[in-house]
Amino acid sequence: MSTITQTPDLVDLLTRVATRDRAAFETLYKLTQAKLFGIIARILVRRDIAGEVLQEVYVRIWEKASDYQRGKGSPIAWMATIARNRALDEVRRAKPVALEDMPDSFEPAAEEVDPLGSRERSEQLVALMKCLGQLEAEKRQIVLLAYYRGASREALAQRFSRPVPTIKTWLHRSLLQLKDCLSS
Amino acid sequence: MSVSPEDEMSAAEFALGTLDDGERAAIAARRQREADLDGAIAAWEQRLAPLVESIPELTPPQDYLPAILSRLDGRLRGTDDGASNVADLTRRLSRWRVGAIAASGLAAALALGIGLRETNRAQMPHEFVAVLQKSADAPAFMVTVNLDTRDLIVRPVAAPAQTGKSYELWIINDKLGAPRSLGVIDQAHTIANPKLAAYDPAVVTDATYAVTVEPEGGSPDGKPSGAPVFVGKLIPTGR
Repeated sequence: MSTITQTPDLVDLLTRVATRDRAAFETLYKLTQAKLFGIIARILVRRDIAGEVLQEVYVRIWEKASDYQRGKGSPIAWMATIARNRALDEVRRAKPVALEDMPDSFEPAAEEVDPLGSRERSEQLVALMKCLGQLEAEKRQIVLLAYYRGASREALAQRFSRPVPTIKTWLHRSLLQLKDCLSS
Repeated sequence: MSVSPEDEMSAAEFALGTLDDGERAAIAARRQREADLDGAIAAWEQRLAPLVESIPELTPPQDYLPAILSRLDGRLRGTDDGASNVADLTRRLSRWRVGAIAASGLAAALALGIGLRETNRAQMPHEFVAVLQKSADAPAFMVTVNLDTRDLIVRPVAAPAQTGKSYELWIINDKLGAPRSLGVIDQAHTIANPKLAAYDPAVVTDATYAVTVEPEGGSPDGKPSGAPVFVGKLIPTGR
């Protein structure tokens, strides 16, 4: 996974896709489909809808490849942003995600990001995790649940038994704290 | 590049994904024309992007590549600008409809290059309904749209009466830029002359509908005076 992030081949592939290189697009799809599907399917629980959105995302990547700027993050981050935004549009447009669809206990910091894991991780992720680690546990969980699962304020309010305005305030404070921490 | 503290938070929540449907649509529309806001969103997307590394891969249930490639072919062939809109719309609607839209009909229409808009209109749902609400358990207005006639009917469900104020209905869509007024909802909670005919069917069905509270008689400057009190999206009724 992080090998994908690091590999320069994706930059090369995306540059070729921008010139309407169909073979490069096919290779790009094969290398990144599981990553993008992982992102989309976590937000859109229904696999058929996730599959539909995945297709739309790759059409968009084909059309927008020339917008990718090397200095502004890795190709996978750029593609992931497109995927997340499409999935979020879809999940907000549809009925709210039923809470039963979310796991009872979700501590992504433990489940998904194993700091002791042998997988190589980028300096950026290490820095972000360090800053997330400075948030209170519940507030960190809220940020991660929103990012990974596309949880709405309402869903978060129900899950954490707090009013929606409280969740909003917490989100704002947490995000500002992250911003400060990352820029220091 | 600087934005107000309020916009900075909207940008952050847009990137995180926690804005609700109406807010998300409004920010997405503003980002198209406001470079500073767009920059603030992009900065937040970058701050959070490293988390993507920690998301495990998941193999899709099927190989979508052939389907994606044929969509690219369809795009290249579609000369009418409306064609891709209709194709997008058809795909999107098919997800929410009971009973699939004849996809083979769409493919055939693409291949023959015949008038897509008209051909597919016949296969698409014509009637849509949106429940405008503040929260899932508090529906306030029901909006019914007929695509053929471009009729729009507003029905009150449980909207509290306003004294000295008016409810105004807005259509919000990226393609429109700013929210556009569809008219003031009168005492009987209907709109006399909804201004729906001007909009493309794809915009109409994809848009977010929002109600604001305005001074009596409607917004004085054609822009929403405040945040929407009720929002909703259209879904096909199955006709």
